[in-house]
Amino acid sequence: MKQERPKPPISGIIYGEFAFWIAIIGCTIATIGIMWYIFGSHHVMDPQIFLTHLLRGDTVDQIWKATTGDKSQYGYWFLNKLSYSDGLALAGVAISCWAAVIGTWGAFVGMLVSPEEKSRKMYYLYLIFILVMAIILTLCAMGVIRLRH
Amino acid sequence: MEKIKKRWLKIAFFILAPLVSIATLYAAQINPQVAKMTQHTVGMSPIMFFIMLLIVTTIMGIVAVLAGVGGGVIFTPIMMGFTPIDSYIIRTTGLFVAMAGALVAARPFLKRGITNIRLLFSAAVPYGVCAVIGALLAGYIHNTMGLTGEAFIRGALGIIVIGIGFVFILAGGRTEWPEVKTVDGFTERMALDMNYWEDSLNKVVHYKVTKAWLGLLLFCGVGLISGLFGMGAGWAMVPVFNLVMLVPLKVAATCSKVLISIGDSAAIWPYIEGGGMFPLFAVPCMIGLIVGTIIGTKIMFKIKAGWVRWLIIVIMFFAGIRLLLKAGKMLHWI
Repeated sequence: MKQERPKPPISGIIYGEFAFWIAIIGCTIATIGIMWYIFGSHHVMDPQIFLTHLLRGDTVDQIWKATTGDKSQYGYWFLNKLSYSDGLALAGVAISCWAAVIGTWGAFVGMLVSPEEKSRKMYYLYLIFILVMAIILTLCAMGVIRLRH
Repeated sequence: MEKIKKRWLKIAFFILAPLVSIATLYAAQINPQVAKMTQHTVGMSPIMFFIMLLIVTTIMGIVAVLAGVGGGVIFTPIMMGFTPIDSYIIRTTGLFVAMAGALVAARPFLKRGITNIRLLFSAAVPYGVCAVIGALLAGYIHNTMGLTGEAFIRGALGIIVIGIGFVFILAGGRTEWPEVKTVDGFTERMALDMNYWEDSLNKVVHYKVTKAWLGLLLFCGVGLISGLFGMGAGWAMVPVFNLVMLVPLKVAATCSKVLISIGDSAAIWPYIEGGGMFPLFAVPCMIGLIVGTIIGTKIMFKIKAGWVRWLIIVIMFFAGIRLLLKAGKMLHWI
């Protein structure tokens, strides 16, 4: 008798789809941004000065000081600089980093509504695990869990 | 006879690889021409830097896939060992490239139901929490300990990387479908057993899991290392799943890939908050490693890649010793 393929859990499919497409969108934006950064002139940090200091082994603060004359900008500084090439590239990187956050919330909703997963033993334990992970990821992405400077 | 010969070859490799690494690195350090060449790179144009980084990381991605590891594992030690770039920036980028590669790779595994979602999220909690703690610790060391902290990070990573080299040599014991004889009470209550469709057998494989408590404990350590040193941790996750929890190898490998995408996404944010992400460095590395992984996956079925595994081991020894030398130099020990 031919065996039937088991149905993959819906929560996993949702996580995979969200994570993949958001990461791809983020990577595309980051690539466009970096091309503009290299070939254009509208940027926050001068690429040549940045490179010199990066390859000299300078720290984050020293690089910021040398390229912008200002102290380091932390967190989502690029949201106010989206019209700049490096701001846009960094926004793309940040979108990629949000992929798993949104994917995990999607997986939580998927598990919440899936009758197949509800019928399995210890359903609530895994629902809580996904919820905990989704909360941790969200808090990290929102900058709540961070080192104060 | 064959077994004894293999064992002697392994012992010879253990001794020779570190010795050759030390000799080569020492010779390079005292050679004035090498020092001159390193100084010249500071005048490189951004476009040249972008292309060079793209080529180097593409090669890294190909070699990593052929050796059966993720690109993130070799990226951080090589960059920290062989470039003058600040370690905090390298670790931020290392976590980002490991995460981006895993996010893109996770989709087919989840769509086909190979990844055990229960196993994944029960491991994600200890791994993710400890990876965040590791990332915060990295920021703390960077902000408060200065050069000593930098030396500590490089030295500790050097030891870990050499350890990974040994794990690669000794990891021959992995089994495709490990047999679970007894399931402990804790794992039984967790209900982690699952089934998936195995294409090579053309049938459903039902598997059990054991020693979940030990696996989850080990994931805390793996997460801490991943977050602190900014590297992918597939090299440690697959053995934990496969050798400790007795999960089938294919499920272990896919779970580890998806787990990296979740855990490293949590750990990356404290690094971004710390200002360590610079697009001109991060984006070409990300593109290169993803492209390299795709090329590597395509050619891995066409070539015999056994020697690549040994190449990775040599690279790991090289990078590890180089990191230890750098740490020693920073502390004025050598």
